Amino acid sequence: MPLYLCNARNGSIPPEAKAKIAKDITDIHCAKTGAPPTFVHAFFFEEAPQPQLGDSTVQLHGNIRAGRTDEQKAEIVQEMRESVARHSGIDLSEIAMTTADVPASWVMEGGDLLPEPGEEEAWLAAHAAKLAAEAAG
Amino acid sequence: MIPILCLVQEGQIAPSIGEDLRSSLDQIAQDHLGSTAGINWVEVEAGSGFTEAKPSTSSLVSIQSDRMLSQDERISIMQKICDSWIEKTECSINEIVASVNDPAAREG
Repeated sequence: MPLYLCNARNGSIPPEAKAKIAKDITDIHCAKTGAPPTFVHAFFFEEAPQPQLGDSTVQLHGNIRAGRTDEQKAEIVQEMRESVARHSGIDLSEIAMTTADVPASWVMEGGDLLPEPGEEEAWLAAHAAKLAAEAAG
Repeated sequence: MIPILCLVQEGQIAPSIGEDLRSSLDQIAQDHLGSTAGINWVEVEAGSGFTEAKPSTSSLVSIQSDRMLSQDERISIMQKICDSWIEKTECSINEIVASVNDPAAREG
């Protein structure tokens, strides 16, 4: 988490563009929130039932940890839409995006509950120490 | 019926193991939420899944509870999902993400 889903009309996002968009999604999310890149998932689909395309050519949806400000979310939405437009050639007006807040305590990643926003560094250190201890037996 | 969304990477989980995982999820739903699971098993096409901007090997399992859960119940469910994935797929703990959402989180 975050999980970004990108649903697009068939063939509208070239295969080679997906890695570039995923890189941008990761960079944008981390820059705007301070989250570590290890948490960022970006999955692409074509003509999938969700997120619903409606009248759009591309529909992005981000499930992100609750606690981000409206300003952070607005910047994430704008910059990710621009990334898709830049790498796919699709007009910005045909690219829609929504986000949903998910409490960190509702998600388990790496076997631990996700940290609250701002507590990532301590979480990563504790998680690495736990895995190292388990590996050491 | 408890809706469960599973996002897995194409070719990463053999069909027979996928069947086992779905059985486990159904059992978890019955044991903890008192209802059978309605599982939406979605394979992310090769070249279309990324974690940390690299090709993803992660599975994400999201359960939509039909009632408010205590945090202890939620953790127990998520732990069982992770344990099941590790046991059956031999993935690492860093390759499974589980979430259990209360009804208020249902999206329109």
